[in-house]
Amino acid sequence: MSDEKALILKLQSQDETALSLVYDKYSAALYGVIIRMCKDEDAAKNLLQDTFMTIWEKSDGYDFEKGRFYTWAYRIAKNKTLNFLRKPNHLIQIEDLSVYKDKTEDVTNTIDEFKLKGNIKRLEPHHQRAIELVYFNGLTHREAHEEMNVPLGTFKSYIRQALKQLQESYIKIISFLMILIEGLR
Amino acid sequence: MMDKTYILEQGILELYVLGELNDSEQQQVEDILYQNPELKAELERIEMKFEALAFEQAIEAPKSVKNELMYQVSNKASKTIPLKQNNKRYLGIAASISALLLIGSVYFYSEWNTAKQQLKLVEDQNSELNNKIDNLAKDLNTTKSVLASINNPNTEKYILKGNELMPDAKVISYVNFAEKSVVINTEYLPELDEEHDYQMWADVKGEMIDMGIIDTNQVMLAMNYIENSESLNITIEPAGGNDHPTVSQLITNVYLK
Repeated sequence: MSDEKALILKLQSQDETALSLVYDKYSAALYGVIIRMCKDEDAAKNLLQDTFMTIWEKSDGYDFEKGRFYTWAYRIAKNKTLNFLRKPNHLIQIEDLSVYKDKTEDVTNTIDEFKLKGNIKRLEPHHQRAIELVYFNGLTHREAHEEMNVPLGTFKSYIRQALKQLQESYIKIISFLMILIEGLR
Repeated sequence: MMDKTYILEQGILELYVLGELNDSEQQQVEDILYQNPELKAELERIEMKFEALAFEQAIEAPKSVKNELMYQVSNKASKTIPLKQNNKRYLGIAASISALLLIGSVYFYSEWNTAKQQLKLVEDQNSELNNKIDNLAKDLNTTKSVLASINNPNTEKYILKGNELMPDAKVISYVNFAEKSVVINTEYLPELDEEHDYQMWADVKGEMIDMGIIDTNQVMLAMNYIENSESLNITIEPAGGNDHPTVSQLITNVYLK
């Protein structure tokens, strides 16, 4: 059994130490997703905490056979953030602000900080944009292809292309992950 | 209906990883994944790419988030503990109350016993006093009636003086012919032994008729009144009295006027 699987099993048996380790391992990755989606640091902090509270309380709902733990956690973080962004009072809050202009500038500044970094920047801009929309902005394929004003099929190929190129740049990380998976079997 | 080719061509696995499928589509993909190791491996590759991407784009969250999370989790987990502590506290309170009640019960039981004993004592004293009062009332009634009969203007007083057999003996008798009563004062009659009693007789035309045994314990004593009595006589008789007087034991007599 891999360390990862042992850790998740401990988490599922409501071991607080396991939660602490799971948080240390995944929180930064999830926070990167959440803050790029909502572009609001205070909201992102609350959503991250809320996400881990759900991971803690609903850990029984994770099934090793249905995918990787991170994928499961990512979906929770994404859904929570989308629900937050869809809340009417959240929209009102932004619209009601008399200092809306200043706020927009703040948000713009913050977005700069949350710009994608590293290997993804080596991708062609439209591939990078496609990944950003579906993965870091929480858009569905259907919303994203309209956003980019390209046919859905073309958009899907952007995603596939992007992932293929990323695989080459992540080869070391992914081969490491493959070893972990072999360890699981 | 989904199959392997369709899933790969349509980029369904990407949608699956991103959580964009509806419940029924997701279930179909999962069913196929269970049966198809090749597809499962492809899924894992896609997942790892996204995961690697996320780790590359990771942003460290403020420390306060973890602190707050762990605080909330341990508080939620220990929510039952304060209840238990409360239970313990309630048990402690209940035990203390029981102990106090027990001590109280023992105390009140002893108090109750003491009170019961005291009550019995008082009741005994009370009934004793009642008896005394009864006796006094009886004595008073007797004394009153005796006094009344003595003080009656129709009452005649006769003193029977002892003869040579018993010179110290004296009996004062009060005879009321109108009310037909005889009362005597036994104060000056000497005590007899247990085998003998004084007995009083009335002489009616030579015949001695019993007037009763004299109880020397009583100072004033009512005797039977006998009609047409000519004299009063006292003899010493065997204890319990005699049908006929023993004339040789006559100690005193008096003639009535």
